Amino acid sequence: MNPISETFAGRTSPVHRLDPRVKIVAGTVFSFLVALSDRPGALMLSAAAAVGLLLAARPPLREVLKRIAVVNGFIVFLWLVLPWTVPGRSLATAGPLHATVEGVRLAALITWKCNTILAAFLALLATESPFTLFHALAHLRVPEKIVQLFFFCGRYVELFMNEVRRLRTAMKMRGFRPRTDLHTYRSYAYLVGMLLVRSVDRSERIHQAMRCRGFTGTFPTFVDFRIRRSDGVFALCFACFLTGLVVMECTPWLP
Amino acid sequence: MAPLIELSGITFGYPGKRVFRDVHFALEAGDRVGLIGPNGSGKTTLLKIIMGLLRPGAGQVRIFGKPRGSEKDFREVRRRIGLLFQDADDQLFCPTVRDDIAFGPLNLGKTHAEANGIVERVCALLGLEGFEGRVTYRLSGGEKKLVCLGTLLAMEPDVLLLDEPTASVDVETTARIAGILNRSSCSYLIVSHDRRFLVKTTRTMFHLKDGVLAPVTGWSPPEAPA
Amino acid sequence: MHISEGVLSAPVLLAGAGLTVAGIAAGLKRMETENVPRVALLAAAFFIASLIHVPVGPANAHLVLNGLMGFVLGWVAFPAIFVGLGLQALLFQYGGLTTLGVNTWNMAFPAVLCSLLLSPWIRKGSPRVFLAAAFLCGALSVALSGICVAACLVWSGENFLPVAKVVLWVHLPIMGVEGVLTAMICGFLRQVKPELLQRSVTGGEGEGDAGT
Repeated sequence: MNPISETFAGRTSPVHRLDPRVKIVAGTVFSFLVALSDRPGALMLSAAAAVGLLLAARPPLREVLKRIAVVNGFIVFLWLVLPWTVPGRSLATAGPLHATVEGVRLAALITWKCNTILAAFLALLATESPFTLFHALAHLRVPEKIVQLFFFCGRYVELFMNEVRRLRTAMKMRGFRPRTDLHTYRSYAYLVGMLLVRSVDRSERIHQAMRCRGFTGTFPTFVDFRIRRSDGVFALCFACFLTGLVVMECTPWLP
Repeated sequence: MAPLIELSGITFGYPGKRVFRDVHFALEAGDRVGLIGPNGSGKTTLLKIIMGLLRPGAGQVRIFGKPRGSEKDFREVRRRIGLLFQDADDQLFCPTVRDDIAFGPLNLGKTHAEANGIVERVCALLGLEGFEGRVTYRLSGGEKKLVCLGTLLAMEPDVLLLDEPTASVDVETTARIAGILNRSSCSYLIVSHDRRFLVKTTRTMFHLKDGVLAPVTGWSPPEAPA
Repeated sequence: MHISEGVLSAPVLLAGAGLTVAGIAAGLKRMETENVPRVALLAAAFFIASLIHVPVGPANAHLVLNGLMGFVLGWVAFPAIFVGLGLQALLFQYGGLTTLGVNTWNMAFPAVLCSLLLSPWIRKGSPRVFLAAAFLCGALSVALSGICVAACLVWSGENFLPVAKVVLWVHLPIMGVEGVLTAMICGFLRQVKPELLQRSVTGGEGEGDAGT
C-alpha cells in the first residue's frame, strides 16, 4: 500500500488550499473531541462535518476504501468480542453465545467515532504531502529535534520500502517460501538486519552530501506559510462548530 | 527436445512507453547466448519476464516445455533457472558467505549437512576456499559477484541468466567468471556490454534494439567454447 | 498492538500522552543532533517492521521490534517509536492520532524498561549471553506491551475486560517469535556491523563506551 498523500496531496480542492497549520490544529482538536463524545447529537453532527469535509476534498475512492479496511481491523476484533461479553438486555442468540443491546451499542459507538475521525483525518491531513506537514509542525513550535526526526524518518521509509521489495524479490528468486520454521524467521531477521546495515552507510553518505551543501542541523523552512482570509474564515467557523459540539455534549437536555 | 526457454510473440510496455513488441526467442539445452543492446532497450526486462517477475502484455512464455502464467507456474522455474542480478547488493543479504550460498539449497529442502557440503564444493569451484566464514557485506565488489554466482550454482540450475555479470568487476575476477561459466554444464544467457567477455563465453549473439530482438549474424568468436 | 481511536477514556488518553511526553523529553536529552539521522533510521526500521509479516502457525503476524529499539537505543527509543508511530498514522492512517501518546507509551516503556534491566548482560561480551539478552529483551518487551494494552482497555471500562484477556492470549505466541527474531537480528548486526549496536553511536546512554 502506498501513502494516500502520494496521489491525494497533488489534487486541488477548497480543503487542499487551507493552511496546513490550521488543518493540523483543527484535525487534532476535532479528533480529541469526537473520541471523548458520547451523545448521539454531537456524534451525528461531527460525522456530518467530517464526511462533508472529506467530500469537499474529492479523495480517490479506492484509496479511501483501502484505508477504511485497514483502520477497522481493530474494530472488527472488538465486534467479535464486545457484543457477546458486555452484560445487558439480550438481543440475539447464536448457539451458546448471546449478543446484548449494550454490547452492540458499545461496538457501534466505537466504530462510529473511529470512522468519523478517519474521515476528518483524511480530509485535513492527507491533503498535504508529509514534508509540508513536518514544516507546519516546525512552525507550530514542535521541538526541532522531533521535526528533524520526522524529516529523516520520512526519507528513510521511502528508501526502506524499495530495499525491502528488492531483497524480498531476491529471496523469492532463490526459492524462498515463508513457513512457520526457524529458516523463515532467520531469513526475515537477515532481511531486517541487512536493511539496517545498508541504510546506515547510505545515511552517512546522505548526511555527508548534505553537509557539503551547507547543512548545519536545521532544515530551512523555505516553505513559507501565510494565513489567508479563507483560512481565517475556516478557522472561525470550525471553532464555532467545535464549541457547538462541546455544548451539545455537555448540555443534558440536548440529544 | 523442447527448448528450455521459449518466448513467442512477447509484447511488453509501461504506460506511455512500449519496450518491445512481438519478440520471439528460444534457448535450447547447451546454448551459450549473448544479448547486447543500448541502455534502456529492455534486456533486463526480458530476463525478468523469463523469471516471472514481470508479466508480458501479450505472448506466451514456455519454460521447460510448459506454458507459464501464474506465480505458481514460476516457482518451478525459479528452482531450475538462476538469475544473477546486476547489483550484487540486491542479491546478498545473509551475514556470511556460507549462509548466503546455503540459502538456496535450504529452500530446496536440503538438510544442513547437505547444504554445508554444497557450500564447500561451490567455494572450491569459485576459487573462494576459506571464504565460507567471511562477512559478505565487507567483501570487495569482485568477491561479492563471485559469491552471488555461487549462490546460484549451489542450486544446480539448468539455466543461468546473467545480467551484466562483469559490471564494476576487475579484470581478474572477470576472467575467473568466464572460466567458471565455460566449465559449467549449464546453458546460459548473458546480458552484457563487455564484448571481450562475451567473445570468451558465448557462441551465439542477439541484439535488442527499438523493441526488436534479432540474431547477430557472423558471430563466431575464435575463443568460443566448443 | 495499536489501539484505534474512540476506544479509550479521557483519563487514559491524558495519562498516556503525559507519560509519553516525559519519556520523549528524557530521550531527547540523551540524543545529540548528530545522532538524529541514525535514530531516524531505526525509527524507519520500526515503521517498516509492521509491514513485514511472518507466518505464525495458521496466521500471519506483523513484526513489532520494540525490543530491538530498546536494545539499541535505550531511552532514545521513546522519540524514535513516537516518530515511527506518528508516521504510520500520517502516511497510512494506521494506529490513530488521539491514541498516539498511549500507543507510544505501550511500546516504548516496555522497551526501555527491558533494556535497562538487561543492560549489564548486553555489555557482557560473551556471544551466548548477548543473544540470550536480546531474546529476552524482544520477548519481554512484547509481553509487557500486551499487558499495557490490556491495562489501558480495562482502565477505560470494565466492559473491555474480556477484550483485554484476548489481547493477552494473542501476545503469547508473538512473544516467542519476537524474542527469536530480535536475537537473530542482533546476532546478525554483531557479525556484520557491531558499531551499530554501540549506544554512543545511536544516542543512548554512553555507559562507558568509546565516545564518537
